[in-house]
Amino acid sequence: MKRISGINTPLKGGMAVLKPFDINALSPDGYIFTRWLAALPWWTPLVMLAIIWGYPTIAYAQSGLSIYDAFDALWRWMPFLLVSGFSFNVLISFWTLLIGTVAGVALGLGQISTFGPLRAFSWFITQLFRNSPWLVILFIVLLALPFEFTLFGQTIRVPDWMKGVFGLSLPIMANISEIVRGAVQSVPTAQWEAAESLAFSRRQILWQIILPQCFKRMLPPWMNWYAILTMATPLCSLLGIEEIITLSRQAMESEDNQPELLVPFYGFALLLFFVYCYPIARLTMRLERHYAVKL
Amino acid sequence: MKNFFKTAVSGLALAAMSVGSVSAQCTNDVWNKVMSSGKIVIGVKADYKPWGFRDDSGNLVGMEIDMAMDVAAKMGVEAELVPVQSSNRMQFLEQGKIDMMIATMSDRADRRKIVGIPGPNYYTSGTNIMAPKALGFTSWEDLRGKKVCGKQGAFYNQITEERYGVEIMAFTGNAEAKQALRDRKCVAWVYDDSSIGSDLSSGNWDEFEMPLASEDDNPWGLGVPLNEASCVFGNFMSGMQYNWHRDGSLIALEEKWGIKPTAFLKMQNERNSDWIK
Repeated sequence: MKRISGINTPLKGGMAVLKPFDINALSPDGYIFTRWLAALPWWTPLVMLAIIWGYPTIAYAQSGLSIYDAFDALWRWMPFLLVSGFSFNVLISFWTLLIGTVAGVALGLGQISTFGPLRAFSWFITQLFRNSPWLVILFIVLLALPFEFTLFGQTIRVPDWMKGVFGLSLPIMANISEIVRGAVQSVPTAQWEAAESLAFSRRQILWQIILPQCFKRMLPPWMNWYAILTMATPLCSLLGIEEIITLSRQAMESEDNQPELLVPFYGFALLLFFVYCYPIARLTMRLERHYAVKL
Repeated sequence: MKNFFKTAVSGLALAAMSVGSVSAQCTNDVWNKVMSSGKIVIGVKADYKPWGFRDDSGNLVGMEIDMAMDVAAKMGVEAELVPVQSSNRMQFLEQGKIDMMIATMSDRADRRKIVGIPGPNYYTSGTNIMAPKALGFTSWEDLRGKKVCGKQGAFYNQITEERYGVEIMAFTGNAEAKQALRDRKCVAWVYDDSSIGSDLSSGNWDEFEMPLASEDDNPWGLGVPLNEASCVFGNFMSGMQYNWHRDGSLIALEEKWGIKPTAFLKMQNERNSDWIK
């Protein structure tokens, strides 16, 4: 490597040289959360379980309800919380990813359109939903959407969880849009020029040459957003949608709201989310490394 | 032909007018919808033991659920139970998401502007606090300026705040509120006296007491759509409640769900009981 005094070797006389400011070197990348999650060792849930078990034994040593009673209650409620609760979170996350991806790809392609107004519009929508708090979007969607609508004389009821799906889809859509735009723009312009010289039309270049290459690049950030989204689904409980956190609360109510139940019940939810998201995070980081080498 | 049109138009206009004049009073939209579809959607609590809660296989059970099932049975329709929360129950009824509700709602003047609450009221409860015995509260005034835990959506949060100048910390769940009480984040937990009573008798709260005189003894009301409160729906529900009081089925339900017998139900039963035995 070439030695430049004051930059990569100690300064020898002369004026100090200010390094160029590289925002990417200083700000965290989009994977910060997944990277952290994937870096956790596999035995993390066991440690969590030990803490969940151990903490209340110490904290509530004198109180009436023993920790065994609390875990006994959790054991009885586990099938219900898993089947009616957590599976709902997974369902919400699937639908959100589906709608968010379809809308996000369309919006992302809009952002690289040659038609100016469409590009500006797509950019605005993307920025609007990328930079709004998720909970605010959720509240607006839940209160603004009708609970049923009539289509071709048929009354269709929109269940609450579907409204949650729409609400969560909007920020996901905006982030997928950025992924698509970034991936397309990361393909060297020489590819566009080469394809143009072979008389491909713009649409052909995009669909047959650029996007197939983008697919691999988009996969890891897309999965990254899936993990983030799944962990955001308990937000829906604030809107009264019946998912794991709402049902955990109701379960604790049925067990007379003993505070000793809080750690086991919420700890169980934590464990479920970890077990679900951890493999996704590991796979995401592996794919990311894999494709990073190949490019 | 011209005449035919004239007759048809004036006939239609007349029909429209007559329909219009009736609709100003009672259209019974929700009632008719329930009767024609054969299904009534009733909002109940899933977080208020023993009035409405879940058993550990997830089914909704409780005193109010039994009442809701009775309503559906008397109407001869199928019941669909929808769990509601204190913070969204009136909105759900207003939007038409539920046809009616039996959801531990206190009957308040401001609430009657939003939902129809037909009389007679089916239950009553007062406001009290659960506080550590060590603090030795004797009157509501002792709470002035102190932090008190509560549950979101309860009407007495605001009342106690205004009347006694307490600082309410409202939680989404009662378990969280009680944990905060135990962690001494607040000096007391303000809630229904009947609920606090059953907690204290469970034996898990030995260092705590319900020291004050209950306030705001407030009847509970079930809710029907506002514009049907004085139509078929409201009158039907009044009849249901009257008969529950008259034949003592509410007292029986109270016993079934282990609720401390209230003087209110006993009085209502005596007042309305059949003079022919």
